Amino acid sequence: MKNYFVVSAAILTTALILSSLALAQDTPTSRPGQVDQRPPSTYQKLADAGPGGPAPVHDLNGFWNGPLEPKFGDMPSLTPLGQSKFKLNVPDPFSAHSNDPWRTCDPFGFPRSATNETRGLAFATMPQGIAIMTQYEKIWRMVWMDGRELPKNVGTRGGASSRWYGYSVGHWDGDNTLVVETTGVDDKTWIDRRGYPHSVDMHVEERYTRVDHNDLELTVKIDDPKMYTKPFVVVTNKFKFTPQQLEDEQLCVPSEAIDYLNTIAIPAGQDEAVGQK
Amino acid sequence: MRTKIVSSFALVAFLLLSIPLFAHHGNTAYDTSKAVVLKGATVTKFVWGNPHTFLMFDAKDDKGNVVHWAGEAGSPSSLGLIGWTKDSVQPGDVVTVYIYQSKTGRPVGRLNRIVMADGTALKDSALGYREQ
Repeated sequence: MKNYFVVSAAILTTALILSSLALAQDTPTSRPGQVDQRPPSTYQKLADAGPGGPAPVHDLNGFWNGPLEPKFGDMPSLTPLGQSKFKLNVPDPFSAHSNDPWRTCDPFGFPRSATNETRGLAFATMPQGIAIMTQYEKIWRMVWMDGRELPKNVGTRGGASSRWYGYSVGHWDGDNTLVVETTGVDDKTWIDRRGYPHSVDMHVEERYTRVDHNDLELTVKIDDPKMYTKPFVVVTNKFKFTPQQLEDEQLCVPSEAIDYLNTIAIPAGQDEAVGQK
Repeated sequence: MRTKIVSSFALVAFLLLSIPLFAHHGNTAYDTSKAVVLKGATVTKFVWGNPHTFLMFDAKDDKGNVVHWAGEAGSPSSLGLIGWTKDSVQPGDVVTVYIYQSKTGRPVGRLNRIVMADGTALKDSALGYREQ
């Protein structure tokens, strides 16, 4: 009896896993009657490119292709303040009742620009720093590499103003890892599409490791004691060097987003379908 | 022991069921069991935008009345990979539309594919690879 119960539970769990994953993808499901396959994405094609040789030293320059979304890490417990902020956030840019800043194309801010819509990433070396550019929304962040310090007391009287993308400084750790430190991000932005909050004092560390010529691995770590009980890795991601250096134009346009909500999402009853009234 | 096992499976199941909430976009509002086929539809507007592209078109119902429809498809990035461009569909085009209609019964849905006058099919990036 006990074994029967355990096996049944395992079968149920497996079924839930498969159905859940099938629903989660914006790709066709394997159903009877399915015709030819959807072509692979650029990112999927690049997965077969191989390492392409050793990584050059202190050089991430160029355009990189990524997956639509990164891999999320385990979230720690929220502090009481964090919980109260989190409860106020209603995700889903496709919902008329959401307060996701994305719904009307407000800037993602950082680190959401590294946790949401991650199909394209580029680096360009400047005289005193490195520009990190994100394909989605054509975001451009400046990472100062000239030894300057991050501003202190951002968002307080006499301190620097908080900003959508904060303030960033960077350094190399060894030959192939760029470490970027960021703080001073406006706290009206979310850290990801799930609606997790942050304070202006949040400290974010990005580590970009070029493991060979064609492969770049990213880890984004957050330390925000006001909102979370311990530091955590919010996402990891993997990018592939794009040989033709082609980018795509991905813009969230407020008038189009509002038109979509009024023409499609609301008449279709999408909120009702997902249980939001 | 059994309680722990049950709790573990329940937790795993809950977490996995949460995944769709974080997916790019679901189609739960639509009846995806069968596409509605609308022949002789006239395109009135095509929006190549985010979060999703959408097509507006007029089609006659069984009584000959013109109904104003709207159907969404994937994002420009997703459709661009499978041959669509901003100008693939234009106002005035007469097409056959295969669409998964909203469960509300309103004339709005998710496209399966559009068949142009010359027989060319433009498939949706998400649901276009189903035979109807």
